[in-house]
Amino acid sequence: MNTVPGLGYLGAFGEIGRFGARVIGIVWTGRAFRFFGESLRQAGILIFGSGLIIWALVFIFGLQCGLNGAYFVRAQGAPSYAGLFAAFCDLREALPYAFGYILSAKVGTGIVAELGAMRINEEIDALEVMGVPPVTFLCGSRLLGAWIALPFIYLVGIGIMYLASYIAVVKQVGDVSSGGYSLIFWMFQDPTDVIYSLVKGMTMATVIVLVGCYYGYTASGGPVGVGTATAKSMAFNIVAVHIIGMVGTLVFWGANPRLPIGG
Amino acid sequence: MGPVFEQVGSMVILTARTLRSAIRAPYPYGDELIEQIVFTIRLCWLPLLASTFALNLGAPGLQAAGVLHVFGSLDRLGGFFVLTAVRWIGPLVTAVVVAGVAGTAITADLGARKIREELDALQVLGVDPIKNLVVPRFLALVLVTTLFDAFAILFGLASGIAAELIYNQSLGGFFATLFSNSSVTDVWGSVLMCAVFGGIIAVVCCFKGMTASGGAAGVGLAVNQAVVISLVGVSFFNYVFTAVLLATHPELQTIR
Repeated sequence: MNTVPGLGYLGAFGEIGRFGARVIGIVWTGRAFRFFGESLRQAGILIFGSGLIIWALVFIFGLQCGLNGAYFVRAQGAPSYAGLFAAFCDLREALPYAFGYILSAKVGTGIVAELGAMRINEEIDALEVMGVPPVTFLCGSRLLGAWIALPFIYLVGIGIMYLASYIAVVKQVGDVSSGGYSLIFWMFQDPTDVIYSLVKGMTMATVIVLVGCYYGYTASGGPVGVGTATAKSMAFNIVAVHIIGMVGTLVFWGANPRLPIGG
Repeated sequence: MGPVFEQVGSMVILTARTLRSAIRAPYPYGDELIEQIVFTIRLCWLPLLASTFALNLGAPGLQAAGVLHVFGSLDRLGGFFVLTAVRWIGPLVTAVVVAGVAGTAITADLGARKIREELDALQVLGVDPIKNLVVPRFLALVLVTTLFDAFAILFGLASGIAAELIYNQSLGGFFATLFSNSSVTDVWGSVLMCAVFGGIIAVVCCFKGMTASGGAAGVGLAVNQAVVISLVGVSFFNYVFTAVLLATHPELQTIR
């Protein structure tokens, strides 16, 4: 046991950084395209296995954004400005966080469980013996699959979150008409914000997939070891998601809030 | 959909049995309870503080300060932090961290015992796994999640202060609007919400751990499902609770 708090995280951070750079290098230099079929299969698993649950959590977060926003602007005496709160909350903050939470819970831990079981059953060693490079085949194809599928899941999630906020503000609380809400809501966002938000979400997704691959690939110690590795990856991902969210906000909107008000 | 309802029903039954088992004598779980509390605090405190500070600095801190800065009313950020740090983000992030860090550890631990047939051995020895394993974890998570809420709120407010300092604003206005807008209802709502979050996480994670099966992949999959169900359950309960609290307490809807 280390005595300084956080030292374990730092050590893991270094290891994951080295492993992650290797996997990103594999995808970047095109070596992962050798197993493009496997990448497409992983993308399909993401869409059919995780899409619905991602959108479900995104929908609930959208409801929360709309609800809290509607009551907050009612307190300010400006109920028609629920759209301002919802636009900022949905697109810039809540969606990346909801996406990061459910990805680390569903996709990250899923990868650890799958790769960890393969490691324990010595299937990864078998791959190596067969002449298939295991990091390329298992981790590179998963990262490529995530990069193929997740941007679209994220963009659909934006629509689902907007729908949820609309329901909470206009139908549930009902202080503002549909048109009044939409006017302010669409006024306070532009396509650049969508790109920034997407970059934030995909950074989280990349880190989560790499962390999952690292903990699964290096699992040891029988079935118990797989469970422990899964728990560890989740703990690391939670902290990583929040740090990426904060840094993303600081970089994209920290100096310039991108508001269509004043000069 | 059938298995989904079956699992939800089993979790409700487990909740009822845990509550009954916790109240009824005898109480053999004292040592285990202390151990679990210490374990959870030691595992969660650093991720919790880092996460609450980061989330509150980014989401409500800088975004809201950006809007308020345009209107020249940065002192109003304190009032906004009652909504975010106390009522919404504090409890939610506490639950996410406890589910992701402590909940997964509980599922991995119980799942490992299930796979190694230790749970069956306990039952053969006449030891009730619910009373000796689930009840202490349930009580520990409820207690620790409630305690953590206070620290989540404190660090959330600290990041509000950081956001004010980033915009070179004096802190007098922040504290003035913070204290004039916060009410006792907000705080007890936050604490009560966190207690229920802890209960949801504990039941889901214990259930998934105790029903793990299928060798090496089984424990990992149990952890995977436990944390997904915890997150969705917690955020859905957050939505329902906030809606009820805000609708039934009009005093929360005025600005002071």
